[in-house]
Amino acid sequence: MSISTTDVKTVIGKLCQLIIDNEQYFCELDSAAGDGDFGMSLAKGFREVQKEMGDMDDSSTFKFLRGCGMIISEYCGGASGPIWGSAFNAAASSVKGKDALEIGDVAGMFESAVEAIQKRGGAKVGDKTLLDALIPATEALRTSADAGSDVRAAFEAAAAKAEAGYESTKSMIASRGRASYLGERSIGHPDAGATAISILFNALVKA
Amino acid sequence: MKKIINQVETIVDEMCSGIVAAEQDLELIPKYRIILRKNIDANKVALISGGGSGHEPAHAGFVGKGMLTAAVCGDVFASPSTIQVYNGILKAQSKKGVLLIIKNYSGDCMNFDAAAEMAQDDDIKVESVYVNDDVAVEDSLYTVGRRGVAGTLLVHKIAGAAAEAGKDLAEVKAVAEKTIAGVKSIGVGLTSCTVPAKGSPTFEIADDEVEFGVGIHGEPGVARQKIRSSAALAEDMTGRIVKELGLASGDKAAVMVNGLGGTPLMELYIQYNDVAAILMKAGIEIRKSFVGNYMTSLDMAGFSVTILKLDDELESYLNAPADTPILKVVGK
Repeated sequence: MSISTTDVKTVIGKLCQLIIDNEQYFCELDSAAGDGDFGMSLAKGFREVQKEMGDMDDSSTFKFLRGCGMIISEYCGGASGPIWGSAFNAAASSVKGKDALEIGDVAGMFESAVEAIQKRGGAKVGDKTLLDALIPATEALRTSADAGSDVRAAFEAAAAKAEAGYESTKSMIASRGRASYLGERSIGHPDAGATAISILFNALVKA
Repeated sequence: MKKIINQVETIVDEMCSGIVAAEQDLELIPKYRIILRKNIDANKVALISGGGSGHEPAHAGFVGKGMLTAAVCGDVFASPSTIQVYNGILKAQSKKGVLLIIKNYSGDCMNFDAAAEMAQDDDIKVESVYVNDDVAVEDSLYTVGRRGVAGTLLVHKIAGAAAEAGKDLAEVKAVAEKTIAGVKSIGVGLTSCTVPAKGSPTFEIADDEVEFGVGIHGEPGVARQKIRSSAALAEDMTGRIVKELGLASGDKAAVMVNGLGGTPLMELYIQYNDVAAILMKAGIEIRKSFVGNYMTSLDMAGFSVTILKLDDELESYLNAPADTPILKVVGK
């Protein structure tokens, strides 16, 4: 079963609502080791995506996701704008010219997103960032695609890997972002970005 | 939370409107929260800074002749977006190019860098410098480097004077980097700040404690300590900076005692008195001083000490005329 632009829009719509619903919680997570603005910065951009969704060009998945990326770049505050914005823009570019997506294309979108985030922020696995959840989830999507799994099974596997990845950040020392100033004092707190990735993957699978 | 606001959602917009209502030489581009000089000299290097709001008067209070061309305002404690900074560059650009003065935080660096790339695609000459004066944070493998704090103002002042003197982009960048290399700061927090959107203090701290080495967003510093006398704090803080800069008898310096937003000027002058005595005893000559609220952390009580090692070039730029809402230098 392939994925249409309408399906992508439905998922992004749910994603917006989840991020808005979790605004306060994501801020609290960020207060433990960061500066407490993560939920607010993220929600600001996705609230705008939700508001403009009805008027956006959805003639292709590329155009729709590029539109999302531009809004996120403009409205998400702090580091979230360039990180999430460049992820959406890269994911969009990876499916340019495709109308119906297969699971392999979806894995490709996430791979492009990860690459863009790494280019912008310079982080790698183990730096205690959202990549510690996003990279294992992306790898799970690719493994599922190669094995011929269906979309639901692929995302269930990805959600499990994202959760394990977020758990692993608890024992890491932050080396990126404002949490890095804590040094060893950051041990014990999960990374807020990785937690968000895990929550979003798992909630989308259940939705 | 007890604050003089109307609604939390619009505090930054209302503040920006207030600044330009009060300052007739400045204008505001509301959509991108850019505060810029009304009269931009296209033949002089443009200086753009900015960052999260909540540090007022930084940075909009330093837009004006002899300092910044424009300031881009993000949400409270959050970098402005790439699109905001890019539009700031478009509006403030000059024939001689644009220098971005960025405080070294992940979000600020990513947004300003991405904006610089966009502007370079438009064939605008853009260079960037990153201020990292906070000695509280170790620059190690495990951090993104040291934070930019109150020393940023001295970079604005000196680079602004060089731009005003007609220097080209490479020269203005070089003098900004020389300033950054010679400026170090450290802060102490007596209370937490309260971010309006959150409504409660960012961290808990007992009545008899200070956060030594606190960051300007309420990030933790070196250690939680029992409060000490102004003289003891000055000894510890000044000592760390003097050691970092390798200052010795006969050196010249500029000194800033900066309030974090909730500390009376009386206490800042008491601290300055202690810092000046320590430097004098060490044979270090203070050539210029700043005491006041320059780089704040909302309502946090506390202060920071900044020392800049001076040579003749930096001293002459520091003493050159400036006319901004907060910092006015008559020149000599």
